[in-house]
Amino acid sequence: MSNWLLEVRNLVKDFSGTTVLKGIDLGFRRGEVHGLLGENGAGKSTLIKILTGVYGASSGEILLDGQPVRIASPLDAHRLGLGAVYQDAELIGGFTVGQNVLLGNEPGNGLIKDAEIHRQAKAIFDEIGIDIDVRREAKSLSAAEMQLVTLGTLFHRKYKVIVLDEPTARLSASEVELLFKIIQNFLSQGITIIYISHRLAEIKRICDRVTILRGGVVSATLDRDEISEERVTELMVDRSRSELETYNAGHSRQDVVLELDRLETGKLQPLSLKLRAGEVLGITAPVGGGMEQIELALGGIVRSSGTIRIDGKVARIDSPPEARTARVAIIPEDRRKQALFPNLTMADNICLPVLSSLSMFKLVLRRKKAVYGAEVMNQLNVNPRQPGTAVKFFSGGNQQKAVIGKWLKANARVYIFVEPTSGVDVGAIKEIYDIILRMAEGGAAVIVISSSTKEILSLAERVMVIRNGAVVHDAPKTACNYDQLLAISMGGRGTEIAA
Amino acid sequence: MAEKTTLEGTPVAAQAKGNVNDRKTPFLVSFLRRWGTIIVIVATGLGFALASPYFLTLSNFNNILFSMIISCLVSVGLTFVVVGGSFDLSVGLTVTTSSIVTAFLIPIMGPWAAIVCALCVGAFIGLINGFLVTYGRLSGIVVTLGMMFVLGGINIFLTDGYQIAVDYGENAFRFIGQGKIGFVAFPVLILLAVVAIMHVVATRTRPGHYITAVGDNPMAAYYSGVKVYSWLILAFMLAGLMSSIGGVILTSVSSSAQPVGGEGYLLEAFAAVFLGATVLGKGKPHVFGTLLGVFFIYMVNSGMNMVGFPFAARQLFSGVILILAVGANAMLNREEIHLKFI
Repeated sequence: MSNWLLEVRNLVKDFSGTTVLKGIDLGFRRGEVHGLLGENGAGKSTLIKILTGVYGASSGEILLDGQPVRIASPLDAHRLGLGAVYQDAELIGGFTVGQNVLLGNEPGNGLIKDAEIHRQAKAIFDEIGIDIDVRREAKSLSAAEMQLVTLGTLFHRKYKVIVLDEPTARLSASEVELLFKIIQNFLSQGITIIYISHRLAEIKRICDRVTILRGGVVSATLDRDEISEERVTELMVDRSRSELETYNAGHSRQDVVLELDRLETGKLQPLSLKLRAGEVLGITAPVGGGMEQIELALGGIVRSSGTIRIDGKVARIDSPPEARTARVAIIPEDRRKQALFPNLTMADNICLPVLSSLSMFKLVLRRKKAVYGAEVMNQLNVNPRQPGTAVKFFSGGNQQKAVIGKWLKANARVYIFVEPTSGVDVGAIKEIYDIILRMAEGGAAVIVISSSTKEILSLAERVMVIRNGAVVHDAPKTACNYDQLLAISMGGRGTEIAA
Repeated sequence: MAEKTTLEGTPVAAQAKGNVNDRKTPFLVSFLRRWGTIIVIVATGLGFALASPYFLTLSNFNNILFSMIISCLVSVGLTFVVVGGSFDLSVGLTVTTSSIVTAFLIPIMGPWAAIVCALCVGAFIGLINGFLVTYGRLSGIVVTLGMMFVLGGINIFLTDGYQIAVDYGENAFRFIGQGKIGFVAFPVLILLAVVAIMHVVATRTRPGHYITAVGDNPMAAYYSGVKVYSWLILAFMLAGLMSSIGGVILTSVSSSAQPVGGEGYLLEAFAAVFLGATVLGKGKPHVFGTLLGVFFIYMVNSGMNMVGFPFAARQLFSGVILILAVGANAMLNREEIHLKFI
């Protein structure tokens, strides 16, 4: 089977005891577009990160042109000709578009010929049809333009395999056409594209073959004409895991806690909703669909217009402190960057929002802090039970519990969880679900924003799907099922339902 | 049909919501951003010219250039490190060390070999700094702060705390610092040549290009196959080298090497680099801006001296101007959330 350009054999990846990839065997042909589908946690991104040197595999082989290769770092991958464009395209902000496109491959010996750089970049852009001024500064580009420029940077790098991770998440229709043209151009040079997307329509259109991952193994590889929505959904859904371990039968009461009236941001079309005490609203969307805007607006991080009422009172939330005053607690996705102080101890992290209640004469009482920290850790089952250990030494699941623990006694009225179980080991997921439901039972309004349909169905009482910044589906959970939600967020028949 | 619904959204909308910077900046703001610092520099110069008839003369201009030579070399070197995204606090004492090495070695190996050794010492100091900051994974501030103390110790050790005199017979060597071509001091010519070369290196060559890339977005540079560590090390080596050129000139100018006194260059250099970053609205340090920054600091010194202000007032004025220039620039280049406090 040496006709594969790139092949992985029995690839296994363990993350501290949790096996994410359980022996993947997969081959990629030269010059094909190979789609990669799978739910969150199915192992797509882990596989890609191994191929591009971000992670090392625990065991298994990677063969390029039939030869076993070792990919220990992104630089190795780069040298071998394996490149990737991630969702957060990385450019040098202070450089021009042209300088970015030719970065690492500038023409001229000794002196760099600026005019030549921009001429070559222009030629590349003309060839692939990108209409962006090569002399513009990269940081002035919009997100979509950055994505396109990043594709342009791949041209001179002589890659054999290019991974595109949700490349259309931020693109408009005409830009998507452009992307497909660029992909065709890559193909004509014999480059293999690995294409990750949740949008089935795109997959059907562009991919020669598609592999579906499920629970860390290859569920199936289909040829283009075998791709159908029913087939893919069926192959994607992990039946063994789909019996929901947690089920929210509903805790909602009469009184409305959160009321949004035409809440609007630059990326979110006016959204009105009412959320009752004890109600859990699940919001799901394709990546980049705009669901995170709700979190950002309610957290005071992004400017919004419209009215927010909490317990009937109008709340002005233009900054994070105002969000706190309004009693909105946000448990963000990127724990390490946005919620935790990794070098502070567990107790310090947990106590941060409630320091004043642990103080006497404005001095924080250490004993009280330790006691409170231990109490919260007991309640949330944070292990090991060591309030004095720095947070960075805890596992992902325990870190997430710490973030929740921060807000446990802060008496928030509205809790917003964003991807609450991303990077959380399987064992801790159910515990976190239970904690979330306990908060709802306590009478708070809860919003869970997640790209995992399964998670939404476990937790929510009511489900919303947001696409391109607009609500396309809004129904009680009892009226939704798994396959249907997956299809809506993948962009299949969802529109009929919304209409 | 399904396709169309998936890919909805208009390009216009995508662009409109894409970026805040697309907003048209008012002319005055963009004008001030570009020319503000230079206007302040020129206006200050004119102010002094009105106050003192001796200020706007060729000989005074010459004096200012001569007095700023070493500071300027140090600042230009530091520019590379700051552009690369790090800090170098050891540049000031590197001047002293290489000055001492020069004076120390001249009797032993003659002036030219001594100069070469001094320059190598400077570059070597940069190499160590750069190595520790990259492969050693240490913070630039901490490493170079440590290096500053180390060099301070070495300087005292080499000199026993006394100055080292250079023999008056070393005419060729003394010409480097004290010679004149026409009415222009020879070291001023060295300075201008070095600054011109460094400007070209920074703007037109691979090293300059990649150091800028590394400082701007090291991750993107890394993924592009740019050897991030090597270029940052080179930036530190350039800083060391520039400082040691300053050290050699210092020894020649005074025909001696002093055991202490390099710290002042460091502070001036930082002021100049950050003042220079605002020149032409670049927002990032660049060689030409640094040159103007140093010139401004020394011009103010000279001008206030002539008008008769006390030393304290000069310090105060320079400091206020630095904060105002950098502050005004920050006001004109508002970012969305400001959460970086270095």
